[in-house]
Amino acid sequence: MSIEELQKNIGGIKFTIFSPSVIRSYSVVEITAPETYDRDGLPVPGGLMDPRLGTLEPGQKCATCGNTSAKCPGHFGHIELAEPIIHVAFVDDIYAILQTTCRVCRRVILNEEAINEYKKLLVDRTYVTPEILEKVSREIRVKAKKIRQCPHCGSPKYEIQLVKPTTFYEVREEGPSRLLASSIRAWLEEINDENLILLGYELSKVRPEWFVLQVLPVPPVTVRPSITLETGIRSEDDLTHKLVDILRTNQRVKESKESGSPPLIVQDLVDLVQYHITTYFDNEVSGIPQAHHRSGRPLRTLSQRLKGKEGRFRGNLSGKRVDFSSRTVISPDPNLDINEVGIPLEVAKKLTIPEKVTEWNVERLKQLVVNGDKYPGANYIIRPDGVKIRLDYVQDRNAVASALAPGYVVERHLVDGDIVLFNRQPSLHRMSIMAHTAKVLPGRTFRLHPAVCTPYNADFDGDEMNLHVPQGEEARCEAELLMRVQDQILSPRYGGPIIGAIRDFITGAYLLTKDDTYLTKEEFINLATIGGYVGELPEPAKKEPEALYLGKQLFSLFLPKGFNYVLKSSWYGRPVVIKDGVLVSGVIDKASIGAERPDSVLHRIVKEYGSEVAKDFLNSILRVIKAYITLKGFTIGYDDFWLSPNVMKSIKQGIEEAYKRIEDLQKQYSEGKLTLMRGLSPEEALELYIVNELSKARDSAGKTADKNLPDDNSSIVMARTGARGSPLNIGHMAAALGQQSIRGKRIIRGYENRTLCHFKPNDPNPDSRGFIKSNYREGLNPLEFFFHAMGGREGLVDTAVRTQQSGYMQRRLVNAMEHLRVEYDRTVRDPEGAIIQFLYSEDGVDPSKSDHGKAVNVNRLIEAEQLSAAGQPVSEKELESLLSKYSTKLNPKVIDELRVALSKSKLPKVNVERVLERTLELFEQALIEPGEAVGIVAAQSIGEPSTQMTLRTFHFAGVKERDITLGLPRLIELVDARRQPSTPTMDIYLLPEVAGDLNVAKRIATEIRFSKINDVVKSSEIDPSGQITIVLDVNAMNELVVTAADVAAAIETSKRKPEVIGDDTIIIMMEGADLLSLQRMKTKMLNSRLKGIPGITEATVVRQGNEWVIQTKGSNLAKVIKIEGVDPTRTITNDIYEIWSTLGIEAARAALVKEIRSTMEEQGLEVDIRHICLVADLMSVTGSLKQVGRHGVVGGKASVLARAAFEITIPTLAEASVKGETEQLKGVTESVIVGLPIPVGTGMVDLFITQGEKINGKESA
Amino acid sequence: MSKKAEKKEFLISDHILVPKHEILSNEEAQKVLEVYHVKPHQLPYILSTDPVIKELGAKPGDIIKITRTSEASGVAYYYRYVVE
Repeated sequence: MSIEELQKNIGGIKFTIFSPSVIRSYSVVEITAPETYDRDGLPVPGGLMDPRLGTLEPGQKCATCGNTSAKCPGHFGHIELAEPIIHVAFVDDIYAILQTTCRVCRRVILNEEAINEYKKLLVDRTYVTPEILEKVSREIRVKAKKIRQCPHCGSPKYEIQLVKPTTFYEVREEGPSRLLASSIRAWLEEINDENLILLGYELSKVRPEWFVLQVLPVPPVTVRPSITLETGIRSEDDLTHKLVDILRTNQRVKESKESGSPPLIVQDLVDLVQYHITTYFDNEVSGIPQAHHRSGRPLRTLSQRLKGKEGRFRGNLSGKRVDFSSRTVISPDPNLDINEVGIPLEVAKKLTIPEKVTEWNVERLKQLVVNGDKYPGANYIIRPDGVKIRLDYVQDRNAVASALAPGYVVERHLVDGDIVLFNRQPSLHRMSIMAHTAKVLPGRTFRLHPAVCTPYNADFDGDEMNLHVPQGEEARCEAELLMRVQDQILSPRYGGPIIGAIRDFITGAYLLTKDDTYLTKEEFINLATIGGYVGELPEPAKKEPEALYLGKQLFSLFLPKGFNYVLKSSWYGRPVVIKDGVLVSGVIDKASIGAERPDSVLHRIVKEYGSEVAKDFLNSILRVIKAYITLKGFTIGYDDFWLSPNVMKSIKQGIEEAYKRIEDLQKQYSEGKLTLMRGLSPEEALELYIVNELSKARDSAGKTADKNLPDDNSSIVMARTGARGSPLNIGHMAAALGQQSIRGKRIIRGYENRTLCHFKPNDPNPDSRGFIKSNYREGLNPLEFFFHAMGGREGLVDTAVRTQQSGYMQRRLVNAMEHLRVEYDRTVRDPEGAIIQFLYSEDGVDPSKSDHGKAVNVNRLIEAEQLSAAGQPVSEKELESLLSKYSTKLNPKVIDELRVALSKSKLPKVNVERVLERTLELFEQALIEPGEAVGIVAAQSIGEPSTQMTLRTFHFAGVKERDITLGLPRLIELVDARRQPSTPTMDIYLLPEVAGDLNVAKRIATEIRFSKINDVVKSSEIDPSGQITIVLDVNAMNELVVTAADVAAAIETSKRKPEVIGDDTIIIMMEGADLLSLQRMKTKMLNSRLKGIPGITEATVVRQGNEWVIQTKGSNLAKVIKIEGVDPTRTITNDIYEIWSTLGIEAARAALVKEIRSTMEEQGLEVDIRHICLVADLMSVTGSLKQVGRHGVVGGKASVLARAAFEITIPTLAEASVKGETEQLKGVTESVIVGLPIPVGTGMVDLFITQGEKINGKESA
Repeated sequence: MSKKAEKKEFLISDHILVPKHEILSNEEAQKVLEVYHVKPHQLPYILSTDPVIKELGAKPGDIIKITRTSEASGVAYYYRYVVE
């Protein structure tokens, strides 16, 4: 290929609807013949394969443009339809117009005043959002529907009925009468512009009569190529088949019209054309049968080609296939560097890098060309004239090589040190694609360092990964500067390391650094060399009888000099202390060098010495650890879980005792003596007791096992260091498996009242409900095995469902936020320039540059300063004045932190000044870079961890009767901005003066909980005379704090006049009512409100700190805050919509942040608050809550293509055409689709010149 | 509810979730638009039907300054344009 600079920039794409005349003008041939090829195999002129439509076969020239198939874009033809046909995509628009215009005068069927009002609104748009405009046409439609007579001409307005997909009826007095496509077209033609504006159509862009086709465009053959099978049989594209059908039926309509057939027959034929054209556009329209291929497969027509995951938009435009990529199985290689990737030789010989020949590399490249396919060699040469030579076909490669001169390009094999991109799907976050340096190795798998398994989420049970070779200088440069493994050690999700030691590295680190690990001089030197240590040997820790070194000393060799660190919360009781680069005490385990551990040794090294030092540290130390653990040996096996018969006996005994206690409970239950729990039925209480008893039994069994296994037991070591496994797993293997569950309950399904046929119905023994007494070491009995499989299956199903749900949620988040970026003024904006955040994350700090969420780790700075500090501590006043100097440069939070930490530190003034200077320096370094794609990062940071969330909802720990949706379902509910959460609940706080009083709290709770009259009724009866007698339940009334009079008041209406007799009886006389209506009246009465707030079904008083709080099931914020005694300023609900409507959008945003955050936290997932804030801000920018999805944020995007690529492709495109929208191509998805640079990050840089100022000769930027 | 009258009137803006909203004067609003180099319609919106806006008595076209207490920075300012 020549170096052809084809400079054609797409400025935008305009969507409209073609008028028949435009279709004809674009057409090169009218298609009339339904035949495609004649008997000789030549295309029929005027047929669907007419040569004028373009050419497919190479070598053949196009009859229209004269180009060959490579360059001919193809040309449209057209079919003249005998009768107008409705276009399916615009049926709804037609329907709306027919409903809102007069059938005679064709004006909008509203009175003059209403029309003028709307017109005014449409002209004066100062404070009007696009949503309002949409509302106008919707309102007009709703109003017009009710009108029965045209206010302009007085003619009647009939209801219009649409029978899906394309048939319209007018419902007249005498019955429905069909509106034919031709008359609809005439109707639409007669509507003038003035009325069209009111219906939401912009002037002179689109005429509604174009919704009804008179001419059908025929796409060029390039769109529907025919395939020649090996047998020589031609197979036509689905679209061609469909077009043939259309042509045939259209022909028949013409013929029968000419021959004067009765209109009914003609209409039937027209309907057939309508069917074919409808299915030609969309073969999944409901209401009509699908069109099928001869083989029975449904045809894939135009809509199907665009729609869905494999459709044009998502399958070919948003995601494209690439060259220079490779995929194979991965396997681990701890001898590699963490930023290397092992590439099979075979792969390295296929993947090439184009290298320009220069004076400096000509000799090397010549050698490569001579080598040819012998590694390292080259595959292609591109001559300066653009001709590409394949070296395989060259006889004398020496000759070609000697011709090499500057200007040539050699496509050489991949060699060690080349930069490549490595990726594992699903690419959930940016660390799923990282730049590695190539290392060509024998073997057939990609090799990667186990430490980078975490960011890729890879293991080696057969995982495959992809490798891409960037081809251009810019691409390689960008990969090297932004994507290298060492630059990704810190995750933007929580500002901590995501790469670090895993599995045996952690075990090894522990074995190496524990106190009694000594190494001989030889071992020490060997291991130090393996780690690449160059320098002097330290003094041995023990000199007699032979020189012995501590393992800790070996570890220290690789720590940066001057590094100080204390980890207080060490698992071994003693803190990890590193002083001046020497590990003084403590043991290194997961908390110190593990992956996904913030504030670890590793994290501090990255933050303080940079990613290059951290990478070298990791490389060396991991290699040493690997060598050490290999040397020492580490294994785990069957007998590691052997427990002495005595211990086993006590475990079994513990379980037997639990069984006995359960029997007791069951006896108590059957005798009715069981102590009940609030809000639980006796059955539920019994079940709860049993489950508790069983879980206690398993826990103590596990604990016994744990206690009786020696400390140096391999699995114990692994569990304690965090390498793998947990005490729970050990318990499962050595002690007992415990209760198996389905949906959080003991197993119950299967037969009637029993799980398996081996048990009697309602067997009280826990064995029958899936409690497993055995452990993995001993093995399970068949029944236990079955229960275990049942529980295991739930786990599998759960995982499958969860990955789907979280995957879709992430897709929505990414599509909603992908176009957000930080501008040069650090505001977050969309491509239209609309502001989402005024300062990114409210402090402008990049989470991936932050220190575990904080801009600056003030304490670290002070600690470092304290080492050299001496002198008089700074006075409070001095500190304040120093701090005030920084008040404009640092945000209040940092200042506060500094104030607290510095005043505690007792540092002298000089040091304080230094700390402040350094803080500012670090703060400025932590600021976000303009152009950063913060939207995508936020979407990934929320989406990626959601894969790890639980699917089930479970009991809230505090109150038994409060079920709260948690985990993934709750998160989805929040980003969906659902109008009603699945478990609404409130926390009602009381006014401070009454908050401590339990009785007041209880009284208010009864005030709030909704109760029906029926709740206090003992019995009720009807007398045929018309008297309803209600006997009240005094206890229930006391509980609810109501009197009979209150009840009567609640019953009383204009018709019902209750009368109170005594304390507990109410009589209502309803004279003249028959028995049936009395009965109905009674039920209605009993179900009516007695007291409380609608929507709140439960209200429980709970102690929180030193006050009483009411927690509810159900939510009604607006009403609750009006109740006396309730503190309206603190009372909250988990219903975001309710907060929005009662407290406004800002409160809703705050609540959204709080809810998303607590959902993530509850699951133990760390997400930086900045990501959550961005989502919440985006969801609330319009002043109303917008869902993350097609009806909200994504649907509100300016770009047509972005919306079409997300979901609902066809209606989006149709709507864009009707409205005459223009695609501005400013966002990310759009740019990907049309192949423009991505306007985010490095793609955002552009050159601007202010022209006017330059002329004036003035200096300007 | 008759009880409400006896009580001290509850203001929505007193709620812990509601940050401080204030209407910017013309000059202040102009300054905000200049600093961020935006037209009003490029600001985040707040509906004129929003309960806080009703309480404040702001009109469509006003710019509201919101002072949030921020987890990340202590105090953060946000601006919203009142729309119908």
